[in-house]
Amino acid sequence: MVLDKKDNMVLDKKDDRNVWEKIGDYFSANSIWMKWYCTGCGAIEMPPTMTSRFDMERLGLGPMATPRQADVLLITGYLSTKTLRRVIYSYEQMNSPRFIIAFGSCTINGGIYYDSYATIGRLDKYLPVDLYISGCMPRPETIMNGFSGLIEMIKKGEAKGWKHYQDNYEWYKKNQLDSLGKIIVEDEFHE
Amino acid sequence: MNKIINEIQTTLEPLTIETPAFRQIAVVVKPDAIHNSLAYLRQKGFTQLSIVTCIDWIKDSEMEMVYVLFNWTEGIHIQLRARIDREKPVMVTSTDIFPGARYYEREVHEFFGVEFPGNEDAAKPLLLELWDDLPPLRKDFDSQAYSDSKFPMRERGNEFVSEIGGQNK
Repeated sequence: MVLDKKDNMVLDKKDDRNVWEKIGDYFSANSIWMKWYCTGCGAIEMPPTMTSRFDMERLGLGPMATPRQADVLLITGYLSTKTLRRVIYSYEQMNSPRFIIAFGSCTINGGIYYDSYATIGRLDKYLPVDLYISGCMPRPETIMNGFSGLIEMIKKGEAKGWKHYQDNYEWYKKNQLDSLGKIIVEDEFHE
Repeated sequence: MNKIINEIQTTLEPLTIETPAFRQIAVVVKPDAIHNSLAYLRQKGFTQLSIVTCIDWIKDSEMEMVYVLFNWTEGIHIQLRARIDREKPVMVTSTDIFPGARYYEREVHEFFGVEFPGNEDAAKPLLLELWDDLPPLRKDFDSQAYSDSKFPMRERGNEFVSEIGGQNK
C-alpha cells in the first residue's frame, strides 16, 4: 500500500501483466460493457451519449443491465451514504477486471454537497477510481473523450484499480466502515 | 370561497384566517384542534391531503405543523397550521382521517423529531439509514460539522483567487 503525505492512496500504474492478460485486455478494451449507477445528475448526460448524435457504440461501448456482467461501473454524480452502500454491493458483485469511472466534481470532493449530512465527500477513499471525468456535469463530448482515455489505459495496462482494491482491501473496508458504520443494507425492503 | 371562509370561521374558531393567494386559505388553529379541523375539512370536501410538513421556529422555541389540503370540487387549497412545543413536540396522528399521512408523519418524525402517538410506523426510519444524531432538519443541527466528522475530504491545493490578489486573503 502506497500512501502519499496527505493520506491519499497512490494508484501504481506500472504494467506488470503476463502475455495472456495482455491479450485479454486487448479484446476487452474493444468491447466494454457499462453498468451505469445513475446516482446524480450525470445520468441525464448518458442518453445523448449513447443515442444517435454521439453514438458511443462506435467505440465499442454498450450498456449492460446487471453488475455481474459489466466491466465498467459509472458513478454519475454525487453519492449519498445510502447509495454508497448499494454501490459497494454492486462493485463487489462485478467480475475482475473491473473499472470505475467517476463523473463530475461531486465524486472528487463532494461538489456543491460538500457540507451535506447525507452525501459523502471523496469517492476514492471507499472505492478505487480509475478515471475521473471533470465537469459539472460533463458534456457528452467529454464523456466520449473520457471513455477513449479508459480504452487506452486498459490497453496499456494502467487501469489497475481492481488490483488495488484486492491488495488494499483492509484500507478500503476501514474507510467504508468509518463513514458508513455498517455496509449491510437492512431496510424494510430487505427484511 | 367566502362561504367556506365563513363556515370555517364559525365552526373551527381559528386563531387567524387569511387568503394568501387566489383560491388559497391559510388557517392557524390551536394544536389540540388539528384533529377535529382535519375531520371537519375532509367532510366538507377537502379530501386530498397534499402534504404534512413542519417548520422549526428556533427563536420562538416552537415547531409548526403544516397540513395542506385540496378540494377537488371547489378547487381550493387550505393550509392548516398549528404551533407546538419545540422541546417535546407531540402531535396526534391524522392517519385515521387520511391513511396516506402515515408516510408524511414518518418523514416529519425522522427529520424534525415530532412524535405522533397513534401512528405505529412513525418511529421507523424512512429516508435516512442508521442515523445517529439530531434530526437533520432542525435548525440547531450543524450539517457542516457532521459532514466533517464523517466524510473525509480531499485537501485543496492553492487558492487561485488569493494568488492573483483577490478578496480571499
